[in-house]
Amino acid sequence: MRPRFRFRASLIITATLLLIISLLSLSLKRSPILEKVEGMVVSLTAPGLHGLRYVGRSLSGVWEGYFYLVGVQKENATLRQRLQEYEQKELRYQEAQHTLARLESLLSLKKQVALPVTGARVIAYDPSLWSRCALLDQGEDHGVKRGQPVLSAGGIVGRILEVYPHYSKVMLIVDRNSGADAMVQRTRVRGILQGKGANRCSLGYVPKSADVKAGDLVLASGLGGVFPKGQVFGKISGANKKTPGVFQEIEVTPVVDLSALEEVVVVKVVNLAATP
Amino acid sequence: MTVPVILFSLVGLGLFYFQNLLLFPQVRLRLVGLFLFYVGLRPSFSLAFSLAVVLGILQDSFATTPFGLHLGAALLLVGMARFCRRRLLLQKIGPLIIASLAALTLQEMGVMLILMLLGLRPLALSDLASLRSLEILATAALAPLMATLVIGLENFLSRHGWHTSRSMPQE
Repeated sequence: MRPRFRFRASLIITATLLLIISLLSLSLKRSPILEKVEGMVVSLTAPGLHGLRYVGRSLSGVWEGYFYLVGVQKENATLRQRLQEYEQKELRYQEAQHTLARLESLLSLKKQVALPVTGARVIAYDPSLWSRCALLDQGEDHGVKRGQPVLSAGGIVGRILEVYPHYSKVMLIVDRNSGADAMVQRTRVRGILQGKGANRCSLGYVPKSADVKAGDLVLASGLGGVFPKGQVFGKISGANKKTPGVFQEIEVTPVVDLSALEEVVVVKVVNLAATP
Repeated sequence: MTVPVILFSLVGLGLFYFQNLLLFPQVRLRLVGLFLFYVGLRPSFSLAFSLAVVLGILQDSFATTPFGLHLGAALLLVGMARFCRRRLLLQKIGPLIIASLAALTLQEMGVMLILMLLGLRPLALSDLASLRSLEILATAALAPLMATLVIGLENFLSRHGWHTSRSMPQE
């Protein structure tokens, strides 16, 4: 290899490393420029995801409601037509029923929370295993702010991490960097709920003497002012007291399937501790 | 060079959409990473570098990890592809799959190291090990498909008068 190319490779590697280090340090300092870049990329690419998701739903509706009926004999054409109509009606009815059930549960959640909330749809997820977050179709223009808790009918989903004009990013409770004060419903034992990636959390800092068993519900304690008190984080799926140290190892599984969310509500209060 | 960068970026964006809309959460694959690796194996370095920047920023924007992590991981893959390109004869399917496997594993290690250096909590080696291994293995198994896609894109471009590189690299 000639010296010119060796020099070129070193230059590229140094410049790349400098670029990455600067970006990472700017990101850790929450640089507004990076947030703008991130917002711009999301605003440019999320509508595509939004649109494709809509098209996908419509196509699957058409597929389920029509195409699989093709092939019925000619003499049954009238019956087929009716059947098709009823099938489509039933599908629409079933879908409406599901939507109604979901919206009803969100409505009851809204009443239960007794705080100003806004509904939002999940339009995308981070598909990598390095973080767990979702993108909502509600942003700064709809009054969503950083730090606001996000709930679903089953329990707590996460909190708003970034806000863009029309979208917002939620850090799910299973993200490795998510942490919240929680308590076990049955015994009121408190601990810190930390995300463990995938679809799991752990309840940390619970002494071995504390009465905790599989199946116990883990709720938000209300301390810290992020999540509304009494909302469900998940269910204890295992507790191990045979670990070194004074604390037991408790695994919590969220009650909500955080990879298959459709509608959620954003509580429009950033600091619940300051709310009367 | 602009047209190839745009076309390859659009294909990368398509893979990201495909992963997000159709595969997630049932199937976990690193299609964008594999795509970048194969573009990195092709002659044009500037195309691979530009694509790594575009797709890295795209993935960073949809994640909660510090901005720059996915970008770093993408550039790491391109770097590994260039390394493999200079030292290995990647003509057959077997070596291609093994090279992809090694690159994706090293990328995972690199990301964990960066997260650790930043003081964040990376996934421990044992944590979700089976899921991560499966993800990497399944992705590497798609190597022939991805190689075909990248070569197909290059052929498409050259048929229309655009070349991803003017000459072969000086190695």
